[in-house]
Amino acid sequence: MSAIPTLALRAVSKSFGMTVALADMTLELFPGEVHAIVGENGAGKSTMIKIMTGIYQPSSGQVEIGGAPVVLSGSKAARLRGVAAIYQEPMVFPDLDVTENIFISATDAGLILDRRSMRRRAEALIDRIGMTLDVDREARGLTLAEQQAVEIARALSQDVRVLIMDEPTSSLSAHEAAELRRIARSLATAGVAVVYISHRLEEVFEIADRVTVIRDGRHISTRPVSEVTPQGMIADMVGRAVGNYFTKMPSAAQQEVVLSVRGLTRTGVFEDITFDLHRGEVLCMAGLIGARRTDVALSLFGVHPATAGELRYKGQAVRMTSPAQAIALGIAYVSEDRRKLGLAMPLPIRSNISLATLAQYLSPLGLIDRRRERDTAMAYRERLNIRAPDVDMAVGVLSGGNQQKVMLAKWLAMQPDLLIVDEPTRGIDVGAKAEVHDLIRAFVRGGGTALVISSDLPEVLALGDRILVMREGRQMGIIDSARATQEGIMAVATGQSEAA
Amino acid sequence: MTGLFHRLSPQGLRILALLAVILLLLAFFASQIDGYFNARLFSRISGSVAIMALIATAQTLVILTRNIDLSIGSVVGFTAFAAGNLVSSNPEMSALLLVLFCCCFGACFGAVNGLIVAYGRVPSIIVTLATMAIFRSLLVEYSDGKSITTNTLPAWLTEFPNMPVFTVFGLEFRAAFVAALTLVFAVHLALTRLRPMRQFFAVGSNPEAAEMAGIDARRVVFSAFVLSGALAGLAGLMFLARFGNITVVAGLGFELKSVAAAVVGGVNIFGGSGTVIGALLGAVLVDVIDTSLVRWAIVSEFWREAVLGALILLSVTTDTLFTRRLVAWRAARAHARREAALNREARP
Repeated sequence: MSAIPTLALRAVSKSFGMTVALADMTLELFPGEVHAIVGENGAGKSTMIKIMTGIYQPSSGQVEIGGAPVVLSGSKAARLRGVAAIYQEPMVFPDLDVTENIFISATDAGLILDRRSMRRRAEALIDRIGMTLDVDREARGLTLAEQQAVEIARALSQDVRVLIMDEPTSSLSAHEAAELRRIARSLATAGVAVVYISHRLEEVFEIADRVTVIRDGRHISTRPVSEVTPQGMIADMVGRAVGNYFTKMPSAAQQEVVLSVRGLTRTGVFEDITFDLHRGEVLCMAGLIGARRTDVALSLFGVHPATAGELRYKGQAVRMTSPAQAIALGIAYVSEDRRKLGLAMPLPIRSNISLATLAQYLSPLGLIDRRRERDTAMAYRERLNIRAPDVDMAVGVLSGGNQQKVMLAKWLAMQPDLLIVDEPTRGIDVGAKAEVHDLIRAFVRGGGTALVISSDLPEVLALGDRILVMREGRQMGIIDSARATQEGIMAVATGQSEAA
Repeated sequence: MTGLFHRLSPQGLRILALLAVILLLLAFFASQIDGYFNARLFSRISGSVAIMALIATAQTLVILTRNIDLSIGSVVGFTAFAAGNLVSSNPEMSALLLVLFCCCFGACFGAVNGLIVAYGRVPSIIVTLATMAIFRSLLVEYSDGKSITTNTLPAWLTEFPNMPVFTVFGLEFRAAFVAALTLVFAVHLALTRLRPMRQFFAVGSNPEAAEMAGIDARRVVFSAFVLSGALAGLAGLMFLARFGNITVVAGLGFELKSVAAAVVGGVNIFGGSGTVIGALLGAVLVDVIDTSLVRWAIVSEFWREAVLGALILLSVTTDTLFTRRLVAWRAARAHARREAALNREARP
């Protein structure tokens, strides 16, 4: 292709503090193409979108539009240059109607709203993308697919040249997803450069002209889709060198079944999850964004009770309806979202560790026994190697890895039988990862049982005795980790092959 | 009729319901109080609504952007005092200049609030709680313990509120009321027809999406506070003209009344939806109750505040329950229609 790219990234890098999110990224988008971008969770796709839409500024490198270098200072600047994005979670204004949503960021129009002509143009735009939608309806109550249509219409209202679609179909039904792909295709035919980011590889093969694979913030390959095989693509996505810090340890699994799950379903979220969890076992749940692994965990922990299926815990049939019930049964859940659901950032390490077990620290008068609280915190600091000079330090000032350990300490202090850990090592450095792995192994060797959700495939392989792979709310199979490979898991998670 | 019910927005329904409640209340008080309906009732309520409607509108602008302005009473009081001071020492000054002065004076207070809220990122409830007290103390300092009295004001100012403009069915519409209504309708038109004003709704409805859509949310919030301050300044002028005697406690308690009027009028306290027409009707409702309770022997004067509080609770609770039901019901219906359409497509 010799044409001038509509938008190009030239050696763009982006780092946040010490973390490099994007390194030396180069990408060219041409008018009329659907360009798919694929990569594992955390490969740097979101950062790349945010740079193209002006939300982030590159740390180094250059963004070019129409061959000329530009600085996109904010999303308004990007929109003015014809770059728009729609996301998995649409960005609509629930209180405004469809027409107003479409024209809210119109920059070329006059001061006074001409409601009638706006309405007409809104209808024309909705019509152009082949939807039927009442343009006078409030956006509150629209389905996700309709909200996305509103966002696409908003982009089209401003002469869009690059349309970025970030996981647009992951929450849509099959019918709606097909509709959306048709819209994307027709926009490309009209000369728009469409960036299509998706975990559904079959979608990529259906609509993309070219595919770029990125991994760990780096560009791996860009090829016409006709020259790519699913296997080749998956190999590119996962093909990093596995360091020696992930050593496989022998399984500590025993005979006793601690948790038995049969046909667990939460209508519209996940369905028919079935597995047995043995004492001393580590079961890992693998899958991509939208696989609904966290939803299964939240359901086991009683946050969002399941609507069907059976749970047997230590041989007793139970119905989990609240976290308090789960905790009373000895189940702990370590959230993936440290900031929102995990830690009280301004509170000291000591108070965070005692938070889930506060009743144990009460003196006869009902006051908190600070000395005992402090002793426990010190013991865990020692055991988990939390690097903090004092347990009275606020958790918020610790590094991510140390925060993660405080969060684990909080739940280990409860001495649970079953520990559910969601993304235990996301965003922490390699050394801390290995320490967290050791902790989980020590926990199961001591008679505990662990269910670990992780998107980090080497971690899944090293830590898990067995691997449960999910895809879009369904259990694709359980693989013995001794026989599993990264490519194998990814193929199952993307629906390219059946689990053995 | 059912067709109309489906078409009407929750806001439209809200306004109809408010009108009905006002009429019911009037009927109720008429049955309880001898000689309730007289010429003075209308002039008293309309005179008070002239001020209330302006502060309710000012409050609405701020609430739409998901903020609140508790300092509004202090701004009204301060402006009334400063304007009174200015006009008593320059009795010959033009009315237009005085109006401009009040607008700008109030807008300055609004700008202080807006700067700290929008650019300092401090929650508006904290900022305006603090400025409510600070502005009031500044007024005490500025007034030096003195008060403005009616006899120092020029006659054209004190006579303005009672100047009859036109009469409909024996009801005399006076200048202050007409001026306030005109202003409210002007703001209503601006909110619904001016492009920049639509951004108030967008920012209040979904701040994150507003940012993504290229809207400068901080500037929008700042403008809301400045506009609101200007309207509060005008309310101060009305206050001065109506009462003439201004002390340092002028406008005390207006924050509660303005929030009550806006919320009762269907303005969502979480921002993003509401109309100033609703807020105007809310102000009328609040005033009808306020004025009538004084004359209703059964309820002690001290209960008026409590009735106002109860009214806020009642309207917000019913609003939340009712609107949520309505939206859910409409979504379910739309979903059923879609499914039916899909089924028809599937069967050739």
